[in-house]
Amino acid sequence: MVTVKKGLGVSLKRKEDIRLLTGNGQFTDDIEKPGMLHLAIVRSPHAHARIVNIDASKAKKLPGVVAVLTGEEALQYSGPLVPTINIFNKVPEVYAIAYKKVRYVGEPVAVIAAEDRYIAEDAVDLIEVEYEVLPAVVTIEDALEPKALLYEEWGDNKQLESRTTIGDIDDAFANSEYVFEETITHNRYTGTPMESRVCIAEYNPGSKKMTVTCSTQAPSQVRTLIAQTLQMPEHNIRVIAPDVGGGYGTKLQANAEIIACIMARMLGKPVKWTEDRVENILTGVHSRDYTCTVKIGFDKDFRITGLQAKLIGNIGVDGTCHAPGTPALSVAGAYFPGPYKVPVYDVEIIGVVSNKAPYGAHRGYGKDIANYPIERMMDIAARKLGISPEELRRRNFIKKDEFPYQQISGPLYDSGDFDKLMDLVMDKIDYQNFKKKQLELRKQGKYIGLGIAAMLEPSGAAVFNGIFNGYQAATVRMTPEGHFQVLTSHQNIGQGVETTIPQVVSQVMDVDIDDIRFVYGDTDITPYGLGPFSSRGATYTVSAVYEAAKMLKEKLLKIAGYLLKEDPENLEMANGTVRVKGTTNPEAAISLKEIGNKVYLWPGPYATVPEGIDCNLEATYTWTSKVVKWEPDEHGRVNLYTTHPTGVFVALVEVDIKTGLVKVDKFVVSHDCGTIINPMIADGQIAGGIAHGIGGVLLEDLAYDSNGLMTNPDFQHYLCPTAMDVSDIETIHMQSPSPFTPLGTKGMGEGGTIPSPAAVANAVEDALSPFGVIVKDLPITPERVLEWIKQGEMQNVKS
Amino acid sequence: MIDKTTRKKITVTVNGTVYEREVNVRTLLSDFLRRELGLTGTHVGCEQGVCGACTILVDGQAVRSCLLLAVQADNRSITTIEGIGTPDHLHPIQEAFWENHGLQCGFCTPGFVISVYEFLKENPDPSDEEIREALSGNLCRCTGYQGIIKSVKAAAEKLKQSELAG
Repeated sequence: MVTVKKGLGVSLKRKEDIRLLTGNGQFTDDIEKPGMLHLAIVRSPHAHARIVNIDASKAKKLPGVVAVLTGEEALQYSGPLVPTINIFNKVPEVYAIAYKKVRYVGEPVAVIAAEDRYIAEDAVDLIEVEYEVLPAVVTIEDALEPKALLYEEWGDNKQLESRTTIGDIDDAFANSEYVFEETITHNRYTGTPMESRVCIAEYNPGSKKMTVTCSTQAPSQVRTLIAQTLQMPEHNIRVIAPDVGGGYGTKLQANAEIIACIMARMLGKPVKWTEDRVENILTGVHSRDYTCTVKIGFDKDFRITGLQAKLIGNIGVDGTCHAPGTPALSVAGAYFPGPYKVPVYDVEIIGVVSNKAPYGAHRGYGKDIANYPIERMMDIAARKLGISPEELRRRNFIKKDEFPYQQISGPLYDSGDFDKLMDLVMDKIDYQNFKKKQLELRKQGKYIGLGIAAMLEPSGAAVFNGIFNGYQAATVRMTPEGHFQVLTSHQNIGQGVETTIPQVVSQVMDVDIDDIRFVYGDTDITPYGLGPFSSRGATYTVSAVYEAAKMLKEKLLKIAGYLLKEDPENLEMANGTVRVKGTTNPEAAISLKEIGNKVYLWPGPYATVPEGIDCNLEATYTWTSKVVKWEPDEHGRVNLYTTHPTGVFVALVEVDIKTGLVKVDKFVVSHDCGTIINPMIADGQIAGGIAHGIGGVLLEDLAYDSNGLMTNPDFQHYLCPTAMDVSDIETIHMQSPSPFTPLGTKGMGEGGTIPSPAAVANAVEDALSPFGVIVKDLPITPERVLEWIKQGEMQNVKS
Repeated sequence: MIDKTTRKKITVTVNGTVYEREVNVRTLLSDFLRRELGLTGTHVGCEQGVCGACTILVDGQAVRSCLLLAVQADNRSITTIEGIGTPDHLHPIQEAFWENHGLQCGFCTPGFVISVYEFLKENPDPSDEEIREALSGNLCRCTGYQGIIKSVKAAAEKLKQSELAG
């Protein structure tokens, strides 16, 4: 029996998998062009220095080297990098290839084009650059001091500075029964997609057309950035993104890509730049790297009376032009209250620049920064108050019947039920039994712990003044044989859109997903729109596709009604046909193939379409959110996110007190992302997100020494979690459909990453509570654990 | 004297086809397969033998093709992902990955499939812990390994069944 594959809420196998499993995928580096040259980039060994002189004469003499270009020479072909995003922050003047000054180790200083990559890399060693080394700004303290200025014209090292106060925070704390304050820090880390960035640029001097094939999440947006930076007409630029080997936010910019474009324009030949792993880790984009002081008050019933947060993020060289990172700190500022009711709120945010690599997006985008300090604080406070972390959270959760909920910091939460999520996860782990087991095991010298973190995942950011905006356009088209193509600029980066988008159309058209193809990754073909960032797919793209499919369906029903001589109101779509509702009479039905054939091929539009309907079987819909609010109120508050998945995450860990090693035994997750399109894919997103969280909290650390040199820019030293590090994950779903999207769907690509670091850190503290261990700096390495145990024991002896 | 311009003739069998090629002595085997033979299913993720994306079989043994030179493959027999199964006839391991969401972006996938191919030949009935250990030389940044571990278990089962049937 042939099963028809269609509809929502079904774990259909992915359409994209067959080619990827058999080596038939096509990633950018797999593409070769006749006469193509290969690029290698000369990078700064200094964190902060003036470029005094560049001597490329030896490199130019090397056989096979075709051209060398310095930052100064590149000014003929390109202006400064344009902002990807620019809200309430300073914008530096920076270039794809450094001009006059380098500001981080790894910054491009010159580029070489050669006949093959081996020769290009040989030539890198032959370029002699003379630097005048300047003091390096590495830490937040260095930046604030300031040890040196990155951008002299700014007068300080602050790219972002803001404060929002709602209510009287001093008064709130004065009238609180309990007030706690902690400073919580987070290490710098990043996404390291398995496919690093790759860019092939071709320029035809005759047609003046530039074709750029690259590994990006955002083809349309990259086209705009290239046009503006190179000051070229955008209609002459085509960006193609083939299979993309992961993104997680780290492929949303055009900086090194600009270098490839410059070289193609200069040489009139195709050029390819393939980023190696060291370049990928060294130049980012990076994320996190912050310190956050949280002060929280509670009344006698342990309800929050006021929340104050002071966040200082170490942005590195820039988070606007190199990559869209800086506003992540502002997002944190809007979401510190998270799942809780907070009557008085005060938040201060400072983003300092330093001589580290650029700050960008990486799974979380500030929602993680909002989560970690608060979810850590809830556990610390619960311990001091002598109640369970579960109970403290429950007392402060926003309740189910309070949605849509206007959060004090600006956001409007669409739907959810935190208490139910807590019930689901607690039932699964059997908390009382766990506590009993924990005590018994301690007697045997084994330390297990349980950590809770509640999760709120704002998804689908709509940001003004930049390329991360609040719309998506989709075209749904029927072919003459009655099949469908769906066109959007929502790039496939592994999240399963070649399957889930057809599932949405199949729901409307009642056809098999094998008869629907999702077309993306070419700006000459798809409508201008935005790629996957901010988990926007199930919020924006799905909604646009759904509405476009409905429009086309309406048109098809009208045409079918005309052909069948029936009122379109009485017709329905069923298994690839349009028929009179409920009928099985073949006379009262017409297949989509026959409609396509009649309209497109025979006997022509004049006979087969009713008056007022054209013969183009295609509909385009641009979806925008009705709840986004850009007009700031008197406190400067806006609402950028449309949907908010929710969850409660529990980590179970075991800590070996002899070695200090933390082993995550299990994650139990309750999760609610509204209407689920494909449960298998949703589970995969959560699991992948948790792996990023485990990596960040236990392993991954972009370590810089005091001179601003990164000490671990490769996979031997920058530790990504392996199958030994990521535990089993059990996910329980509930569905509170969003009232703000037509299908109730919510984007959900980051929810796994957001709470998992806090869940693990809380579990480690729980495991080591006999030693009074407080988790401080991340990642939680064995060395640190042993040190904390030692400190805790000394503290115990004293008291 | 051998220097970086020296070229050498090699004969190598890849997925059953014999190739005779003259290669630069410093060409990596991964580059040779991808650029010279056009077998782009073998991916390069770190060029230092950590991530496992470039894993291939050389004389039946799983190795990192980024850590070998093409000249080292002279007179050897290589299997790449293109030789494991086809879109119309997936290998049971590939089928298992498809059915159990063992991949997302798919970049690391060929390396995983090859590593699992060798592993299940050596250990057809592995425990969860053995699977995790066997996979620990391959990095995946998308799946959190859940789907992959499930796929390996399912693949072991499929291979056992096909052995029983065959």
